[in-house]
Amino acid sequence: MKTNKLRSIEKVTQPGTPHFVGDGFRVHNFIPGTSTMQRMDPFIMLDYNSKYNFPPTNQPKGVGVHPHRGFETVTIAYRGRVEHDDSSGGGGIIGEGDVQWMTAASGVLHKEFHETEWSKRGGEFQMVQLWVNLPAKDKMSSPKYQAIVNSEITKVALPDNGGEVEVIAGNYEGHKGSASTFSPINMFNVKLKKGAKTELSFPENYTTALLMVEGDAKVNGDTNAPQDHFVMFSNNGETFTVEALNDTVILVLSGEPINEPIAAHGPFVMNTQEELIEAFQDFNTGKFGYLED
Amino acid sequence: MSLPNFRKFLIEKGGLSEEEFSQVEPFIKTKSVTSYEFLLKAGEVCSHSFFVEQGVLRFYALNEEGKENILQFATESWIVSDRGSVFFQEPSTYYIDAIEDTLTVVLDDAFISEVVKVNSNFRIQNEKLLQNHIRHLYKRVTLLIGATAKARYLEFVNMYPDIMLRVPQWMIASYLGITPESLSRVRKALANENFKP
Repeated sequence: MKTNKLRSIEKVTQPGTPHFVGDGFRVHNFIPGTSTMQRMDPFIMLDYNSKYNFPPTNQPKGVGVHPHRGFETVTIAYRGRVEHDDSSGGGGIIGEGDVQWMTAASGVLHKEFHETEWSKRGGEFQMVQLWVNLPAKDKMSSPKYQAIVNSEITKVALPDNGGEVEVIAGNYEGHKGSASTFSPINMFNVKLKKGAKTELSFPENYTTALLMVEGDAKVNGDTNAPQDHFVMFSNNGETFTVEALNDTVILVLSGEPINEPIAAHGPFVMNTQEELIEAFQDFNTGKFGYLED
Repeated sequence: MSLPNFRKFLIEKGGLSEEEFSQVEPFIKTKSVTSYEFLLKAGEVCSHSFFVEQGVLRFYALNEEGKENILQFATESWIVSDRGSVFFQEPSTYYIDAIEDTLTVVLDDAFISEVVKVNSNFRIQNEKLLQNHIRHLYKRVTLLIGATAKARYLEFVNMYPDIMLRVPQWMIASYLGITPESLSRVRKALANENFKP
């Protein structure tokens, strides 16, 4: 039995009015929407496309060419398929259950659209895009991708046939996650069967939150966490419990705060105002490369 | 309503003290528009200028074929107006509409008078803004007559650093007086020159 101190809930947030990113992502913003980048450090942005039905189309929907610098984007596809291209010639498809971990770092231009074939059929789409901040020393490192297909994600079965934990990044009970990270980050999909209960524990100072992707749960015994809600924890303990009220999928985020100044404007997240101005100048003068719309 | 950009403008550019700003604050009038909404249409008399607190506006004319020719974008802390129509009280031949949902501060004679009442120097500061605008227009005409597409583009992004992320390419091409295809060529050439993966 663990004897760690209980981590209490700071707040449970319901999904707000959705907005469109481009024409392909209908998202509820939870970070920084429900708090601030500083409080959620190292998680600086979270857009959640709750289940939404896109009708069939021959014109794939999505977001056109845009830059990023200074952080990583993590795309987790629960339903639907996304294709992406970038200015360094990279590209690929993120399918259901897959995770794309893109280190934008010194800068990329990219575009993201529903996959052409998927668009023709249309259907239910559900996705998370998360921005993970980079420590100052890594912000100008070379961009890279980790395309993590579902079959490669570490999976750990829970006792008593209670479900499983997909370890996207970090460490769950000694099982290492599939993605490499620049600062300590835990990112799991906890899949619990109805009635199953589990306990999770992270260092007290780690920023810790849950996104209820599927189903409903009780957290710490008495707090309801319904589907599509976001649960933010306090930093007053390590451990919390979740009990599935029906079959659930919970995205668990827990990361060590980087604790460096944040200067953010649109798609650039740096440490100082001067670095932001430089990011705009570099983008405008082609230093991010070129990508056809 | 908190108007940090307008406050900064009146204090830094207008020369008002914090106290003078709070004296004119009750006279501030704002107007919000959603994207695509008009603030001015050709045929109307433009009765005031708009200071952009948040958002993007554009100022344009339509040519004989109905094509939009964009004279100016106004992002945060820019002022846009058909000054000729305001001053001479004649119908405008221009349009002002919003590219993003935009919050503006309405600058009319009544408001300017209130500001001048608390700080008479503001009249000189306001004159300076007008002269600065004329200087900018000279430069813009010079670039349009004689400069390469690349030089026009570089001057443009220097003046509006974040606009490439906020405004469609075809509108930027219209402002620069080039086709969208030449804008693509300019950006591609710059990337070839400066992109070091």
